[in-house]
Amino acid sequence: MRFCPFAKRTLLVLKAKGIGHEVININLKNKPEWFFKKNPFGLVPVLENSQGQVIYESAITCEYLDEAYPGKKLLPDDPYEKACQKMVFELFSKVPPLLLSFLRRQNKEDCSGLKEELHKEFSKLEEVLTNKKTTFFGGSSLSMIDYLIWPWFEWLVALELNEYVNHTPNLKLWMEAMMKDPAVSSLFIDPKAFRGFLDLYLQNNLEACDYGL
Amino acid sequence: MTDDAARTLGRGSAPPGPVPEGLIRLYSMRFCPYAHRTRLVLQAKGIRHEVININLRNKPEWYFTKHPFGKIPVLENSKCQLIYESVIACEYLDDAYPGRKLYPCDSYERARQKMLLDLFYKVPHLTKECLIASRCGRECADLKLALRQEFCNLEEILGYQNTVFFGGDCISMIDYLFWPWFERLDVYGIADCVNHTPALRLWIAAMKQDPTVCALLIDKNIFLGFLNLYFQNNPDAFDYGLSC
Repeated sequence: MRFCPFAKRTLLVLKAKGIGHEVININLKNKPEWFFKKNPFGLVPVLENSQGQVIYESAITCEYLDEAYPGKKLLPDDPYEKACQKMVFELFSKVPPLLLSFLRRQNKEDCSGLKEELHKEFSKLEEVLTNKKTTFFGGSSLSMIDYLIWPWFEWLVALELNEYVNHTPNLKLWMEAMMKDPAVSSLFIDPKAFRGFLDLYLQNNLEACDYGL
Repeated sequence: MTDDAARTLGRGSAPPGPVPEGLIRLYSMRFCPYAHRTRLVLQAKGIRHEVININLRNKPEWYFTKHPFGKIPVLENSKCQLIYESVIACEYLDDAYPGRKLYPCDSYERARQKMLLDLFYKVPHLTKECLIASRCGRECADLKLALRQEFCNLEEILGYQNTVFFGGDCISMIDYLFWPWFERLDVYGIADCVNHTPALRLWIAAMKQDPTVCALLIDKNIFLGFLNLYFQNNPDAFDYGLSC
């Protein structure tokens, strides 16, 4: 689905590795029955190859692509560095549900509690960058972990909420560096379309997923 | 070689020194199912290691320099590198150490094992809630029903695959990642939750024949002794069964 941040992870990896692929978008508010045969949970993203093998869960799809396809490796070879990327991934795990709750409540209720929680989570990520003294979460070059967490920060840019990283300067610099990446910029979400989608999606409108087409 | 029988370190204890070259250290607790995963992998791959058991009710202050929230398991190597989250630790060991690979080599089969792990995610919480409920004299019929449903999902996988183990005909990483909770079904008093899942029962029986699983099997009476003290909030619970 064009606006799903989890599916965005997989699209970024496909792009970064130059993997030829086709996309079938699923209406998440009105799922086709056949889709549950691909993923019993009915969620995107799902990869399917010509051998009929199906892989789901965004992080698993990304790792699968990195292992199965040649070219630039996004995950490090060193076992410890790889483990570090997975530990950062765990550190990030509270951000997606928080950000979604925040977007649901904006303009409707007081969300200062959520804002504070978001600040707390961003500070944890800031600490990683500060300790590592590198631009990206995996080192001096962009790697898997950066692509895995990027889609939610892309939302901040698209919704003009960059102020949320004002107190986390390294995170802010990271965002700027990410925007320069070819895969990121070629797949950058259209802010107008995203806002249009979000409004409809939060109202459970069946047409939301096709907004802008 | 292993120090699984070591008394726990608690508040006020001196921090351990650096990890000697050629060894990897595991911060653990003898009855913790998550740490059990890591101990299974260390055993299965024959990795030289030392174990420091942590008193989880009375954590040493220095332990928070190993894990920000003082959780176990944590691996520490001789380069002072720390790895935590049980699944991350297990994968690290499989990657970093030679010999028998517990994860398959094929990328799709690796992905399948990781998808299976996702299918398992409710089991730890449900088994713990059943244990707490029964220990506190509360009803747990709903919890057991929910657990049986999870076991049915796993049963379906084994049925569909028509293999003994979750990764195929041989034991592999995913089996070790699931095992600790199944070993505890009996002492938690919920062994009847696999009454309707024959393939899962066969898997349990096959697992009990595995040398690695056997080497680390916890004596039922010692486990019960631990549980009794644990639910009485006795800080000595974690050392139950150790000779003085």
